[in-house]
Amino acid sequence: MIYGDRSTRVLVQGATGNQGAFHIDLMNRYARDVGGAGVVAGVTPGKGGRDVHGVPVYDTVREAQAAHDLSASVIFVPAGAAADSIMEAADAGIETIVAITEHIPVHDVMQAVAYARSCGSAVIGPNCPGLLSPGECKLGIMPSPLFSTGSVGVISRSGTLTYEVVDELTRAGIGQSTVIGIGGDPVIGETFVDCIEGFHQDPHTKAVILIGEVGGALELDGAEAALSCGLPLVAYIAGVSAPKEKRMGHAGAIIEGGEGDAASKIRRLEAMGIVVARRPSELPQKIADLI
Amino acid sequence: MKLREYEAKKVFSGYGIAVPESVLIRSPGEALDACSRIHGDVVLKAQVDVGGRGLAGGILMATESDAASVADELFRKEIKGLSVQEVLVEQRLEIEKEYFLSIAIDRSRRSPVILFAEAGGVEIESTAGESPDIVRRAYVSPHFKEVPGFILRYLTKGCEKEVASVISGLYRAFLEKDALLAEINPLVITPQGVLAADAKLIIDDNALNRQGICENRDLTEREAEAETHGFSYVELDGSIGVIGNGAGLTMATLDLIAHHQGRAANFLDVGGGAGSERVMHAVRLVASVPSVQVIVVNLLGGITRCDEVARGIIDAGVSQQVIVRLAGTNEAEGRALLEGAGYRMLDTMEEAVASAVQEASS
Repeated sequence: MIYGDRSTRVLVQGATGNQGAFHIDLMNRYARDVGGAGVVAGVTPGKGGRDVHGVPVYDTVREAQAAHDLSASVIFVPAGAAADSIMEAADAGIETIVAITEHIPVHDVMQAVAYARSCGSAVIGPNCPGLLSPGECKLGIMPSPLFSTGSVGVISRSGTLTYEVVDELTRAGIGQSTVIGIGGDPVIGETFVDCIEGFHQDPHTKAVILIGEVGGALELDGAEAALSCGLPLVAYIAGVSAPKEKRMGHAGAIIEGGEGDAASKIRRLEAMGIVVARRPSELPQKIADLI
Repeated sequence: MKLREYEAKKVFSGYGIAVPESVLIRSPGEALDACSRIHGDVVLKAQVDVGGRGLAGGILMATESDAASVADELFRKEIKGLSVQEVLVEQRLEIEKEYFLSIAIDRSRRSPVILFAEAGGVEIESTAGESPDIVRRAYVSPHFKEVPGFILRYLTKGCEKEVASVISGLYRAFLEKDALLAEINPLVITPQGVLAADAKLIIDDNALNRQGICENRDLTEREAEAETHGFSYVELDGSIGVIGNGAGLTMATLDLIAHHQGRAANFLDVGGGAGSERVMHAVRLVASVPSVQVIVVNLLGGITRCDEVARGIIDAGVSQQVIVRLAGTNEAEGRALLEGAGYRMLDTMEEAVASAVQEASS
């Protein structure tokens, strides 16, 4: 497990919105099942004093922090205010900030992530499903019934594709240590490299699956990090058939000027000696071969 | 969204960057008047939303005497399949030197990156590929609102003094206009000074609203319709319609189709938590493409509920065969509904895709 465990005390920002309230309930059901602390406080400016599914709501992160000694926050704030919420959480000393929100302007994300990192906080996302360490904690919106405990770490830029892979792993009897959706936007907080370093330190993780897609070179940076610390890794890259200069779904999935297309990424990974699955269904066998 | 050259130049000149004298025309008849306002030889540049327009014949030289006929020729052209609606008539420049200047976002560094080269023009990409040292590169911390002096000195060492102020201006435009890319290639030295001979500006789609842009021109008609429903939609050229939830899963579905030697007609990501009505619109939209022979739906229910998806598919009632793979939340209810209505259900995305490819080729 990395980024959180059973003792992680969680804040939800945007607690009184539809998504926030719904997922406070789901995260706390999961926490009860595994004996974890779960979501202990919420924040919605102007709605302090209320409660959501029994969780007290505050006006500011500082107030919530003073009362509950929080170490993680999950953000469901709408795009226009989400970057500000990331900075508020970092300013209050929260270590792990998971930003679920999609469609935040990229210049806002650069500002917020730079500020959060200067405060020593780790930002997961934005535009991500969060993370789940089976049996330990759930920070975000991942569908927990698909998961099982084990020793394979999963890092992914794409939400539902992650669920697909986790489902296949669980069916094949391969459990997961921590599954992290790092988000599909052009700029994100924690990258493959940061997560690889976390997994390398984690005694529960024996090997890692990296799920990437078109755009940028973050997958190559991550693979290099895995090679240099000796962590076994299998990769899958989505978007081999994606047309150039078209946005495929989220902002990150675009090929800019021929850079970062899936086929050349796969070629470069294989040239580095990384095993690359051509279909999601090949991943369980390929990772089993490595362990 | 990509701005057109004349729009980008207008933005840049608002940041103190000099641009050539020009007039935008929308018919050949306006060419002569444009020339008389500019004086001297001109360049006619088609304002079309595609890259590589110069090589595709979208840029023509003219003198005042033949401007009308050259404009006529340009307006009749199709540039990479697009008709020419607008032409920028611009003074022809006496170029002494060309530079390349580009500001983009570096994903690994999570910051803006400024690229500058003492060479420019259409060849810059291959030149930079052959000798990467020609391009100077500087990362600007997101904490800075201006390009610091030390970065300007590094980038422009030995160049004309005005080049540094162009970089400063372009950087301010990049920040204030929520740009993903701001580029001047070539930035030219002429006897009149330093000018942006071409201009490229791409605005972050997530910021169009606060930039006061209400219509995203990069989208086709169906893509724009998809956007009103909150779908991500991309048109391709095959015969299999594809609906999924989540960009990654939908892209992986396309890749599997290609792996099985099929061709996808489109890509539709319904997004998270789609209810039956959204799914119905999605199926109808995909089915409305004439080339679509069969539709494959690959949905993994997390927030999305499979029974809602099933209802949406049934309500759409399209004439093409719909092959469905559903897994996750309320899977049993969804399967029961679809089986009751005679739809083909398959257990894995592999099977669903293989079956769709077979249907499309039969």
